[in-house]
Amino acid sequence: MSFLPGIAVPIGGIERELGRLWEESGDSKTRASLINLAIYNEKEGSLQRNSAIIQGIAGEHAMRAILIEADPNAEGTSADAWITMHCYPRGSKGGAVCSEQISFRLAGEAARSLQSVVFSHLDSDLPLALWWQADFHAPIDGKLWRWVDRLLFDSRHWKKPSEQFDLIGKISGLSEARTILCDLNWARSLPVRQALAGIFDTPGTLPELSNLRSLAITHAPECRTTALLLVGWLADRLGWTLTDSSKNPLFQDPSGGTIAMTLTETEGSSISRMELASEKATFSLVREADSDLYVTTAKGESLAATTRMVRAPREETREILLAELARGGRHPLYTKAVKAVEALWS
Amino acid sequence: MPSPTINPLREGIANRLSPEPCTLVIFGATGDLTHRKLIPALYNLAAEGALPPAVTIIGFARREKTSEQFRKELEEATRKFSRTPINEELWASFASSIHYHQSPFDDAEGYRTLAAEMEKADRERGTGGNRLYYLAVAPDQFPVILDHLRKSGLNTATPGSWARVIVEKPFGKDLASAQKLNGLVSEVFPERDTYRIDHYLGKETAQNIMVMRFANSIFESIWDNNHIAHVQITAAEPLGVEGRAGYYDTSGAMRDMVQNHLLQLLTLTAMEPPTSLSADAIRDEKVKVLRSLRPLRGDDVFNHVVRAQYSAGLINGQPVPGYREADGVPKDSVTETYVALQVNIDNWRWAGVPFFIRTAKRMPKGGTEIAITFKSVPRVLFNSTGEGLDENVLVIRIQPDEGVSLRMSAKMPGSSLRIEPVKMDFHYGTSFGKATPEAYERLLLDAMSGDATLFARRDEVEEAWTFVDGIEEAWKTRSDDLAFHSAGSWGPAAAADLAARHGVTWRRM
Repeated sequence: MSFLPGIAVPIGGIERELGRLWEESGDSKTRASLINLAIYNEKEGSLQRNSAIIQGIAGEHAMRAILIEADPNAEGTSADAWITMHCYPRGSKGGAVCSEQISFRLAGEAARSLQSVVFSHLDSDLPLALWWQADFHAPIDGKLWRWVDRLLFDSRHWKKPSEQFDLIGKISGLSEARTILCDLNWARSLPVRQALAGIFDTPGTLPELSNLRSLAITHAPECRTTALLLVGWLADRLGWTLTDSSKNPLFQDPSGGTIAMTLTETEGSSISRMELASEKATFSLVREADSDLYVTTAKGESLAATTRMVRAPREETREILLAELARGGRHPLYTKAVKAVEALWS
Repeated sequence: MPSPTINPLREGIANRLSPEPCTLVIFGATGDLTHRKLIPALYNLAAEGALPPAVTIIGFARREKTSEQFRKELEEATRKFSRTPINEELWASFASSIHYHQSPFDDAEGYRTLAAEMEKADRERGTGGNRLYYLAVAPDQFPVILDHLRKSGLNTATPGSWARVIVEKPFGKDLASAQKLNGLVSEVFPERDTYRIDHYLGKETAQNIMVMRFANSIFESIWDNNHIAHVQITAAEPLGVEGRAGYYDTSGAMRDMVQNHLLQLLTLTAMEPPTSLSADAIRDEKVKVLRSLRPLRGDDVFNHVVRAQYSAGLINGQPVPGYREADGVPKDSVTETYVALQVNIDNWRWAGVPFFIRTAKRMPKGGTEIAITFKSVPRVLFNSTGEGLDENVLVIRIQPDEGVSLRMSAKMPGSSLRIEPVKMDFHYGTSFGKATPEAYERLLLDAMSGDATLFARRDEVEEAWTFVDGIEEAWKTRSDDLAFHSAGSWGPAAAADLAARHGVTWRRM
């Protein structure tokens, strides 16, 4: 085991050892925390990867980070813990602001008892955001999710999205849980949605939203769910109904018009191109490989061709996660978008 | 079925009203404000996709130059003053929406050609007939510009579109001139389309005052004269007049800072909970505070207000000249660069609570804050002997180092009972590492969205002038009260005496 995520401590002595760490660190360090961010992963080596993620974001979003590397199917039970701090210089007087990190490696029964082993180390009164980096398993454990204020996950990595969305629906439907769902895949699509919405801000382009006849999205091979979420968003917003979920899906708009949908895979940005066309106009959003910009274009018979550029944020986990943590609130359109293309998930 | 006028794709993307496409006409486009604040703010909004793509910017000014030259100058300024670095492609895309319109402000032909240019933008860029006029000029230019806008019909919007005007401070120099100015504006634009900008209200921390008060049950329940001893609002800056002597000497600290920024902070601190978060509900409550201010007139002024001027001194260890030695300042100027006031708000909530306001140039350090000092605990138990305990103080720091701190008493570890003040401190920069947007970004977006919450309403401005005029009138009767203090000091002794009469000392910042 080469990577140790901090100082090894007994689980029963975590708070005491954290206190000692602070005492030893001197007066120039300030502890700051806005949330508890717990990250759960079932793959070996995740503590190192997630430690690097925390190091990348704690400077901009102070927190108590709790990393969990779990093997719930292990035969024996074991539980180990480490503590560390991530500090960032602030101000001109040599001070630093620090976020605490507690890391757990759990196996067997300990990994199946997160409430008792892990969640007893939350910074009390601060919300708990749990980033679940594994598949969700049935049956849903209501007691676990009651603890969670924000559940982060990334549907991009799901092998069986239909099954996973179903489980997510069950979690959000738990009466005792008030969990806010945050699909990082949905967060990733926000700049695309913003840029696309911008095309239709003008009186000339807006009416064409009711007359769209085709939608084509080019996406990276691993980003089919991202593309489908965008389709679901458009379908929900524009009142489209999925009428054909075959290989070449078709939607119907409220006035009975048919919209053909095409998804194409290509290497590059998660979403590298979107094209929407009505009978009179075409609208596109393009992100060239390695470009930091989205270029949107509108052109048509009675439209003056307009081209616009907006900043396309880097699609690094750090940026997505920071944007999501900064955003707060629920995602009222997310579940609607998922439902609008429900038949296409499988 | 999407509504024919609302973009359904905008819903749920941002938790704010969406700005609408428009032509933004900046009068005084070659000035400092345009270069330092407006264009960098618009660039950042455009880069983040917050501006509708159709937004077209027309710089209206007297100087001869081409649109190309204008864009070049703006690019240089944006490189210098933008909070984010310029991206060449983004700038090129943004700059293509900027045009220069050369014309004297009093030339009818200039407005006729402006109309043609805006109609062209409507046709070619889809600005939808929406107009936003930004008067980034000295107030003496307002009448001629407004008059020409009216005569040329540019103040009225076609059905389904809007025409708004943003007016920069100062909103007059006294009540009469403010009323005249407001009258002039209201003849041309209805109040609902008039946006009086006070950039303090666009600051995150100013907006947070209401959030802190009305989104936390612990504060509002003790936010009254039963619990609060006094309130101090301070805006200090180490700078001198820095080339603004011509304006500043006719204005002074009272008109330049108190009438607008500091009375705005006072209203946010003292207002009752609004009935809703609508612009008018909030502004109704702010106006009530201004109307409740006990007027200061005649001799009362000299008992409640201290004015002073800085003389030569040291700032950051470097010698600086006195105010009267600055270029453009008359040697016998009696303009105040320092002002300290004790005011009372005569309503049920604040009866008996003195509010102290002070603002000054050439202070040892800069900063704006609101400090709420709570009443002492009863003089029993821990407070029964000795010098008494320090009061709890809640400080809202508006700038810099935006945040909130609370001072409270705690027992020092040890076998004896020693009680010391400790401070709980929330720093925006520590907890939220990301840069906050510039006030002008928020305010421009609000004006394009039709949200006037963070803009001053006519009655707010006039009520503030009513209060300030009483003081200015008294000052005209004599000048022997003008005190002097060294640059780099915290003000004259008379200000300390003013606070001391209420058993208060000014806060060390």
